[in-house]
Amino acid sequence: MLRRLAISILLAGFAIAAMARTRPHYGGTLRIETAGDPWQNPGGVARRLVFDGLTEIGPDGALRPALAVSWKSENAAHRWTFRLRSGVRFHDGSALTSIAVATSLMETCGGNCPWTAVHALGSSVVFTSDAPMPNLPALLASVEFLIRAPQSGENKIGTGPFQVAGTTDGVLTLAANESSWAGRPFVDGIEIRAPRSVSDQWVDLAAGRADVVEVPAAQIHQAQQQHFTLAVSLPVEVLALEIAPSGALANRNVREAIEYAIDRNALANVIFQKQAKPSGALLPQAVSGYAFLFPGERDLNKAHELRGGMTPALMRIRAEGGPAFQLVAQRILLNLREAGFNVQLDASGHSADLVLRTFTAEGADPAGSLAEILRAAGDPAPAIGADPAQTYRAERDVLEDGTLIPLLHLPRAYATAEHLRDFRLRFDGTPDLADASLEAAK
Amino acid sequence: MSLRQKLLLLFSLTVTAAVAAVAWTVLVRIRVVFEERDQEETALFVSQFQREFQIRSSEVTAAVDRLAASERASAMAVELAQSGDTGAYLSEAQRMAQDAHLDFLEIVGPAGDIVSSAQWPARFGYPEPAALTSDPGSFLKREELSDGSAALGLFAVRSVRGSGDGLRLIGGVRLDQAFLANLPAAPGMSVALYTDDAQNVNAAAPAFEASRLIGPDGPASHAAIYEPLIEAVLRSGRQASAILYLGKRREDSINVAAIPLQNAAGKVLAVLTVAISRASMVAAQQHIRAIAYGVASGGILLAIIFSLWIAARVSRPIEELARASQEIANGNWDVCVPERGRDEMTVLARGFNHMAAQLASQRERLVQTERVAAWRELARRLAHELKNPLFPLQLTVENLARSRQLPSAEFDEVFEESTRTLSMEIANLKTIIGRFSDFSKMPKPQLEPIDAAAVVERVRLLYESACGPGIAFRVDASPEPMPLCVDPELLHRAVSNLVLNAIDAMPDGGTLTMSARPMGESVEIRVADTGEGLTPEECERLFTPYYTTKLHGTGLGLAIVQSVIADHAGTIAVESHDGAGATFILLLPKASL
Repeated sequence: MLRRLAISILLAGFAIAAMARTRPHYGGTLRIETAGDPWQNPGGVARRLVFDGLTEIGPDGALRPALAVSWKSENAAHRWTFRLRSGVRFHDGSALTSIAVATSLMETCGGNCPWTAVHALGSSVVFTSDAPMPNLPALLASVEFLIRAPQSGENKIGTGPFQVAGTTDGVLTLAANESSWAGRPFVDGIEIRAPRSVSDQWVDLAAGRADVVEVPAAQIHQAQQQHFTLAVSLPVEVLALEIAPSGALANRNVREAIEYAIDRNALANVIFQKQAKPSGALLPQAVSGYAFLFPGERDLNKAHELRGGMTPALMRIRAEGGPAFQLVAQRILLNLREAGFNVQLDASGHSADLVLRTFTAEGADPAGSLAEILRAAGDPAPAIGADPAQTYRAERDVLEDGTLIPLLHLPRAYATAEHLRDFRLRFDGTPDLADASLEAAK
Repeated sequence: MSLRQKLLLLFSLTVTAAVAAVAWTVLVRIRVVFEERDQEETALFVSQFQREFQIRSSEVTAAVDRLAASERASAMAVELAQSGDTGAYLSEAQRMAQDAHLDFLEIVGPAGDIVSSAQWPARFGYPEPAALTSDPGSFLKREELSDGSAALGLFAVRSVRGSGDGLRLIGGVRLDQAFLANLPAAPGMSVALYTDDAQNVNAAAPAFEASRLIGPDGPASHAAIYEPLIEAVLRSGRQASAILYLGKRREDSINVAAIPLQNAAGKVLAVLTVAISRASMVAAQQHIRAIAYGVASGGILLAIIFSLWIAARVSRPIEELARASQEIANGNWDVCVPERGRDEMTVLARGFNHMAAQLASQRERLVQTERVAAWRELARRLAHELKNPLFPLQLTVENLARSRQLPSAEFDEVFEESTRTLSMEIANLKTIIGRFSDFSKMPKPQLEPIDAAAVVERVRLLYESACGPGIAFRVDASPEPMPLCVDPELLHRAVSNLVLNAIDAMPDGGTLTMSARPMGESVEIRVADTGEGLTPEECERLFTPYYTTKLHGTGLGLAIVQSVIADHAGTIAVESHDGAGATFILLLPKASL
């Protein structure tokens, strides 16, 4: 009997210990290192930690309420009303009001807003537009339209789970927002060290001096070989070549010849070590489901044929981003030279004819993501309905112009320390640290 | 130029020429020796550089060898053979190149396609023909880079151990500023590298670009002066050397050897220049030249001093002889040349002294003889002149004495006639005596400026009308100025005398011509007649006092003319041919204006 009792007690102890390990702990400071500015738009890791949007994209890519609890459209999506969550306060203690939201949104987009007017109406914010805005809830989830306290100036005051505590020696310190509407985060604070090269980040992670570090898509394979704990998003980032339609490039055939000259597979398989998806579509397959309809295979003969024996004047190519993107630019340069184009890398950074840029599909809604990408690319966003066929046609129409050539779909990835728990990535690949916690040191 | 000066000049020139010839020969020889040494030194440095280049080539080959033999490369070859996935090795070349301290490294697959490139990672999959070479040594290659530029490199190719010829490594180092800086360079020596661009390599006439010549510290200074040499090497593909001038001075020159750097196909991709300053050599040459010039100048100075002494010693007896001769010529017969030693000059001096003594003695005798002859002539003339009036006087006196027997009236007539005749003859005697008196006391000339034409004109005015109808009077005076500084009266009397003689010489008429013309520093006045002329003997004696060809002349006219002309530092001469008239020529010094 006693023996049974002892065994039972022992098993119960093990069970409690196991439960204790799976339950998150409060406290501790999370250390993040990034290569870029934590406040950069888009992609800055601090933005979504400090600010919230009216809506947000969930881990599954679906749109869900954030500062707005509900929304409705009227007049064929010409008017939208968002009802605000009650009881939300900014980090400075002021209440989140519809006036504050409307002011923040107007300050954010200035004269380039997708709506004609925004105004407060009680506890709601009303958007009106001359053109229909079927994707407005998805647009408002993007990092561009995060809400900050009005007249906060350079102070970064939002409603997010963390608030700015200060900056010392290049380290941005965030403290947990005790009164966050989504609940207090588990960690007491976050230290963001930037800028830090990727190799240094990896050394710091291996040495225990960092908890979360960046892993560029081209180095995911390398990180795997080093047995880092990785969080990898879906391939939601689009690498595209933007062509300035001037001079010889005003000719559609020349732009098409450029597209046929580029070897996407080599970029994906070698430079990005098979972590990227070669595609001729703007929207990733995981978002649209029809990306395979834009294959983007290389055809050097066709490129020569479209060029028609003409040797355009010297073109300059430039890449925005890290070393992998510079390498992609060099590879495209070689591809284009092989097709008879005269191309040089652009060092000035201002007068490039060809620019490599990345865009992010922030949600699983194809129409919303396409609208957001086109808006980021500077194209006038067409009114795209929820119908996938309509989205496909809109994307096809945009790509037929040939001024924007999608090349690859890339994932975003982070490597984390082993004692970090519940670290997740949002759908757009940015880290979601609201539920992350640190295991207590043994 | 005196004999002493001539001797001095001759000796000096001889010695100077000899010294200059010796100095020139020495300097030329020194220059040749220095140039040879300079060339040898340059050749030595060039060979040293070539050895250094070989060492660097061996280092590159060894580095690529080690990489090809490394386990890392072998493992990669095995994995590639098994998986065929080249993507995983994108950065491998960069890592290997960094470890091996190579600037260039490419991993090339069996088909000649790049698996991984350190210098241009994006070139994966593109062919690299140079990797297929079977050359076991190193070679030069122009490597295109991602920024559009091209770099020259020293490359070697090796197959990865265990892969057969499947996987190759082509690695190299860059021939650039850093490469040049690592080459050993002696003081005063500089190296530079001219890298031809890709278009130029294939051009028929490569064009030089100064900016492409770089040294260890950046763009080479004075790059433009290398142009002819580098172009010659680019065209010929052979090493060349030349002396190039950085400035105008010789010490600012450099001896440059240009070495072509060729690829496996023999194309000149670059030119390595090794420049050695000639400043120290030129300074040494200049130092030696200065010493040579100093010694030569001293030698020449000593030679001139010695020549002065020799010339004085040789020329002194001759100068004494010359001075003595001059003294004798000047009428000083009491000169004597010193007789020193027993050489030929002493014999000459002794002979001269004897000759001078003989001449003085003969002259004395001649003077005495002439004096006696003159007195005789004077006596003869006086007797002759005085005899003519004396004879009528004697007859008149005798006639007067006889007439005392005549009646008083007839006696008075005879007496009156006789006293008139006596008075006339006595007057005639006075005239004769007056002429002799005039000759003995010629007045001193009172010099005044006058033109010769005026002299001639004055005579013409006086005598043209007096010539008579049978004589034509012609005057031919030059329009050029003919200034004279003479006593106008004396000259007028002299020329008038010549004109009167000419009129007398043409009793049957003829032409009298007076002319005046400048002749260099003199003025010539001619008086010519067309009378019977003079015999040579008459011409010879014409100016002797008391000699006359006239029936009633005193023979003093031309003597007075000659005396007047001589008093004006002039000369008088006569030209005549028998039956063709006579011409008297006066030459008077022209006065300065």
